[in-house]
Amino acid sequence: MLKSLFGGRKSYGEPIVIVSGLPRSGTSMMMKMLDAAGIPIMTDAIRTADVDNPNGYYEFERVKDLEKETDRSWVREARGKALKVISWLLKDLPDDNAYDIIFMRRDIDEVLASQNKMLVNRGESGGENDSPGDEMMADAYRSHLASVRIMGKKKPNWRLIEIRYDDSVRDPAAVARSVNAFLGGKYDERRMLTAVDSKLYRNRKDQLPAAGTAG
Amino acid sequence: MLGFGKTQAIKLDRDLFDRVKKIADIAGYATVEEFVAHVLEKEMIHFEDAKSDEDIRNKLRGLGYIS
Repeated sequence: MLKSLFGGRKSYGEPIVIVSGLPRSGTSMMMKMLDAAGIPIMTDAIRTADVDNPNGYYEFERVKDLEKETDRSWVREARGKALKVISWLLKDLPDDNAYDIIFMRRDIDEVLASQNKMLVNRGESGGENDSPGDEMMADAYRSHLASVRIMGKKKPNWRLIEIRYDDSVRDPAAVARSVNAFLGGKYDERRMLTAVDSKLYRNRKDQLPAAGTAG
Repeated sequence: MLGFGKTQAIKLDRDLFDRVKKIADIAGYATVEEFVAHVLEKEMIHFEDAKSDEDIRNKLRGLGYIS
């Protein structure tokens, strides 16, 4: 309340552009779009490109510890930059920054199919008997996404735009326009388009098996 | 849970209330309140389910997105 009376989001300093969403929902592609547009990216490039993300991950390793770390003051270093934070960790962002959140959305079945393939590629497919099925995971993810939306409405230091991954591939110009407008309209939309590669949209819903979408 | 505990009133859009009341009647609930409480309890399980949180954490850990 006081924040809104005395300068609102400006009192948090320059906003941090957060690219978020469930893993495998186009977050790396969006980071690449922002990179192409000239937005400084906060990445340490430790996680390198692989078969699942041939264009790289654009990650910052320390983000992975957000849930456990008590000192999250380092996030402030991302002011004026773009930082990738998966949706699960949005709740752990410190409240002393302003966040412009580009939230990537993708069909849950496609997300799960892509995640399952990635798990196999990472050699993490063991223990399947203990892990929940896709249907249960889809439910868990839907509830999680609803929680993020609720959180987004409560946080005065958050602005959030939802971008659909399939829209980004189908009509990248429109998505670039939306993202640029959200960020103040000062970036080159044409350069953003160069980051979109429709060939990387590999787990499409109409091509997934009817059940047991792994693989 | 219903009945003798403390209660709070919640406002509903008139049209939504009419639909809720109709379904509560058809489904055999004693009152609209009982039906609404039942539906909310069922939905809130999804948000409060620690097991599903752990499922998500395990998945994200396997994918390399959290430590």
